[in-house]
Amino acid sequence: MADVDVRMTVNGVARRSTVPPRLTLADHLRSTCGLTGTHLGCEHGACGACTILVDGDAVRACLMFAVQADDTEITTIEGIADRDGRLSVVQEAFREHHGLQCGFCTPGFVVSVTAFLRDNPDPSDQEIREALSGNLCRCTGYQGIFAAVRAAADALRATDADAGAAARDGSHP
Amino acid sequence: MTAAARYAGARVQRVEDARLLTGHGSFVDDVVRPGMLHAHFVRSPLARGRITGIDVSAALALDGVHAVFTAEDLNPGVREPWYSLVGPKVPDTPRPALAEGEVRFVGDPVALVVAVDRYVAEDAAALVVVDYEPLEPVVDYKTATGSEELVHAAYPGNVAGTMSGRPAEQLAEVFASAAHVVEETIHQQAYQAVPMETRGLIAEYSAHDGGMTIWASTQVPHEVRLFCSRALGLSEHRVRVIMRDTGGGFGQKALPQREDLCVMLAALKVPAAVKWIEDRQENLSSAGQGRHEHGTARLAFDADGTILAAALDHVQDAGAYPVPWPVMTAVVVGMLFPGPYRVPAATFTCTSVFSNTNGRTAYRGPWQYETLAREVLLDVAARGMGIDAVELRRRNLLRHDELPVTNPNGMPYSDISPLETFEHALEILDHESFRREQAAARAAGRYIGVGTSSYVEPTTSGRGFHGTEGATIRIEPSGVVNVYVSGGSSGNSLETTAVQLTADALGVDIGQVNTIQGDTAVTPFGGGTGGSRSGSMIAGAVAETAAGLRERLLAIAAHRLEAAVEDLELADGRAQVRGTPGAGLSLAEIADIAYFDTRKLPPGVPPGLEASGRYQAQSPTIWANATHVCTCEVDVVTGAVTILRYIVSEDCGPMINPNVVEGQIAGGTVQGIGGALLENSVYDEDGNPITSTFVDYLLPTSTEVPVIEYGHVETPGPGPGGYKGVGEGGAIGAPPAVVNAVADALAPFGVTITRLPMTPASIVALLQEAEANQGVRV
Amino acid sequence: MKPAAFDYHRPDSLEEAVTLLAELGDDAKVIAGGQSLMPMLAMRLAAVDHLVDLRRVGELQGVVDRGDALWIGAGTTQAAIQRSADIDAAVPLLTRSTPLIGHFQIRNRGTLGGSVAHADAAGEYPAVALTLDAEIEASSVRGRRAIPAGDFFSGWWTTALEPDEVLTGVAFPRWHGRSGFAIEEFARRHGDYAIAGATVAVELDDDDRVRRCSIGLFGLAPQVERAAAAEAALVGTVAGDVRADEVGETAVSGLDSVPSDLHGPAEYRTRVGAAMVARAWEKALQEARNG
Repeated sequence: MADVDVRMTVNGVARRSTVPPRLTLADHLRSTCGLTGTHLGCEHGACGACTILVDGDAVRACLMFAVQADDTEITTIEGIADRDGRLSVVQEAFREHHGLQCGFCTPGFVVSVTAFLRDNPDPSDQEIREALSGNLCRCTGYQGIFAAVRAAADALRATDADAGAAARDGSHP
Repeated sequence: MTAAARYAGARVQRVEDARLLTGHGSFVDDVVRPGMLHAHFVRSPLARGRITGIDVSAALALDGVHAVFTAEDLNPGVREPWYSLVGPKVPDTPRPALAEGEVRFVGDPVALVVAVDRYVAEDAAALVVVDYEPLEPVVDYKTATGSEELVHAAYPGNVAGTMSGRPAEQLAEVFASAAHVVEETIHQQAYQAVPMETRGLIAEYSAHDGGMTIWASTQVPHEVRLFCSRALGLSEHRVRVIMRDTGGGFGQKALPQREDLCVMLAALKVPAAVKWIEDRQENLSSAGQGRHEHGTARLAFDADGTILAAALDHVQDAGAYPVPWPVMTAVVVGMLFPGPYRVPAATFTCTSVFSNTNGRTAYRGPWQYETLAREVLLDVAARGMGIDAVELRRRNLLRHDELPVTNPNGMPYSDISPLETFEHALEILDHESFRREQAAARAAGRYIGVGTSSYVEPTTSGRGFHGTEGATIRIEPSGVVNVYVSGGSSGNSLETTAVQLTADALGVDIGQVNTIQGDTAVTPFGGGTGGSRSGSMIAGAVAETAAGLRERLLAIAAHRLEAAVEDLELADGRAQVRGTPGAGLSLAEIADIAYFDTRKLPPGVPPGLEASGRYQAQSPTIWANATHVCTCEVDVVTGAVTILRYIVSEDCGPMINPNVVEGQIAGGTVQGIGGALLENSVYDEDGNPITSTFVDYLLPTSTEVPVIEYGHVETPGPGPGGYKGVGEGGAIGAPPAVVNAVADALAPFGVTITRLPMTPASIVALLQEAEANQGVRV
Repeated sequence: MKPAAFDYHRPDSLEEAVTLLAELGDDAKVIAGGQSLMPMLAMRLAAVDHLVDLRRVGELQGVVDRGDALWIGAGTTQAAIQRSADIDAAVPLLTRSTPLIGHFQIRNRGTLGGSVAHADAAGEYPAVALTLDAEIEASSVRGRRAIPAGDFFSGWWTTALEPDEVLTGVAFPRWHGRSGFAIEEFARRHGDYAIAGATVAVELDDDDRVRRCSIGLFGLAPQVERAAAAEAALVGTVAGDVRADEVGETAVSGLDSVPSDLHGPAEYRTRVGAAMVARAWEKALQEARNG
């Protein structure tokens, strides 16, 4: 069972490793890369706690082998906030709306929502609920999470509108 | 002395959130120790069988395997494995480390593999050969008492224990002469805590000094420490338990279980830390179940619908290895069955029965069956008497001004508001307009319904292990504050709570306060998260400790400012002369005196600004109460239930942080909705669990959950701040509210619901049964 | 919950892939998105000696307009199908079925070929392929072949695919004229495999008579099924004369191996199946009438 060389960019950092083929991408990120924010809640693709971005797409890190991520660009929860630690709009909204309690499922939600709002900047409530349905939370009853996503969507649109207006004015925001 | 509370009562942002939102939390699986080894259990594939041989040689021969332990290796090392919560004197049920001689449920741990990583440990586990002689399992607790097969030989009839109230004969006359008597046998399925982080721990033993360090996913670090020290015969002060972030517990992580004990024992025998992280299949089949029970409930009414008597015969599934002693938790079901109503007479029996299944563990409102049985039965009674269920409850609910009152089973209620929360919740709903809407919907062939559920809940036990809570507060030399409490936060925001309360108590900005929790080596002893106690007990501990510190701060400042202590107040991080702006000292200035300029201390005031205090709960219980109201629509073709509105009016006293309170209510409520509609731990007839993945065990997701509307009624309880517990109530109130809403929606069909969960198929079956009985076309 | 060890292969072409499969025989398994295979491996319900990753096989990518049919590469992700205006224009039923598959994170990895080859009895894509009489294309060292969907699904997770074959793509015939398409399913939760579901494609003539009709059933047998008797009964009738609940009843009347499980007995599934057919029929008909 020969080990395999893989190269991937994780949160902007190029990484080379030699991994056993059966090593899941989630375990690779947690153990080899030391990025423990990607959590394992079920290891069978149902809870969403391990959600990461692979080439921009939100995917379950437990449903990929590290070898399948060769030559990809990966963003984990650790890569969502600014480098100086400033929370993203989505993270800030989760904090503001009590969208987390124990915090174990939270990285998966934040990563999923980040991708969802990027692709669906003006979601209906029903679209938000459906987008969240692939992540399980046992603490919040989804109340604060839903409110956070609604608020983040509105905040991101407002930011975009301001930026758009600024661009039209020729001024800088 | 202090200015008005600035943070208590406010929707303060949580101090936990920044690390958790950025992936920098520290859950037990995130902890890495030098040379750390990984454990994996070999578990029984049989519900019951005799172990006739175990061959570990092939597993041991595998590269990377350090050890394979069986009962022979580990069990002799167990000394006194009792729980502080329960004490050593109860006739506790058996709980061996590894299965010894006989396996008693599918998932029973038989051997423990320790290897270089989890992958290898699982490879090796597959190589352990266990020979079993299959035995007839006792799968269904409902027939277990009549079975010749015994789960544990020492328990005839598979009965773990029974407790009861007054003799039922004493109520016979009341029931015989009552205008209305209603009786139903109501069944609840097994469902589970299901924390998103499974169980797990790392145990690291230092043979040279006899010290054990444990990183645990726990709600109660000090219980883990005491348990480990007694079970392994180590001195308590040589055991250190550390937890930072625990990914949900809901009761399942309140007490160490058999696997935890095995890993502690194994750590004594290997030269490095041992990590065990439960996987989801293990969690769903071995970490414990709750709620599996049934009961025959009876209520007697006079002709006006006034309750005359209540009786419950309750039987619960203890599984094979319940944690803790199930008899102790069952009796609460009986004691609380009268609930928040005026009930003149009552009795009960509560029986715990073993089965060859997953053991019963504490789960959020472990006695919740009393509310289910009573509230469902009240709706059945109302339909039978031709009274609206709301009106029936109005006639019987306790009013705030009737308190204190002791229920007929001896529970002394005080400081609650049953009728008030009930009316408040109905007002939020607008009950009359819902009834009009319902009539219109029925005319159009749509079936909508409303259900309510009211309960009274004991929180914040004042006894034994839970009866006190300590805090240490250090105002450090620079004037910033550290507050140390035992912790055990598993999502319930104890860090934010401690920081909010301490900032108020010392009159400082919340940013000046930091909290240290979850490390038994540095925090005061405490009871952790359990029994809806943390908020009120931490409030007591902080108040007790801060009071002494405040006196010292003021004494130092008064001395330095040459003012009278009575003229000073603590606010905005300063000791300030009232009405004289600028005349005051900052905490930093006072700390400088206390630590470095001690000759300026007033006579009799010791140096330093550090205090420890321990709060003793001021009552045996703090009572809380609430009413849940649910409306739903039922698709009578598919049986699908859609929840339309969900309202909770809760009286948990004044709120320390409304966000946290509402978060607890919502989380519990959605667990209860899950129990009513989705979640079900199922065994086949051979005792194989068939719901051990998230594909089969259905947790609610965002698409099944309504928006929850909150009402707050605030009746202060005894103790500092008047705070009451709120962690469990949501999970107690929700199932019957949903059952009653569905039953109300289906009232035109004459359906009575007595079995949970209400799956779409079960609803269709009820409708078809009604159709067959009454000729109603569905 | 960790998979057992295996060897990993990542062919760069179809030829390389089929050669590998021919060499490795039954010890090998292909992986595309892996969204169904990975859980099986993690729980050790499945074990393989060799895993052949199809990610770099270019022949499995792309969408080709073949005039009367649209060919979609097996490696096309469900997310890509959901986004594609071309696919929506040519095979709207496929687009409409896609949001019902799992959750968006799953659809970002899950592929058309994977869904079809996995052949779950409650699979939306197998039902769509069967309903539209799609052709499933497979390659091996022995050559290429096109398998009619009607011959492809043959039991619980069982297909006509040979162990040495790679599913390369699916050709979906276009429907023209006054056509309507709908999929309806009932699941315990959003994203779960359906308890029962139905796909309906219907074409009307100018007099509102049913010219052509296909009804697919899923979750109601060991494999996806067609409701042939109900289809035959509908063709030639005036659409407005047909009661939807009768279409549903007829569609499920011939089923003789409806599964029973945790979520309900066969009788219940059948009832739900009939309701889903009725609801899909009404929707599809509505669309056809407006077309």
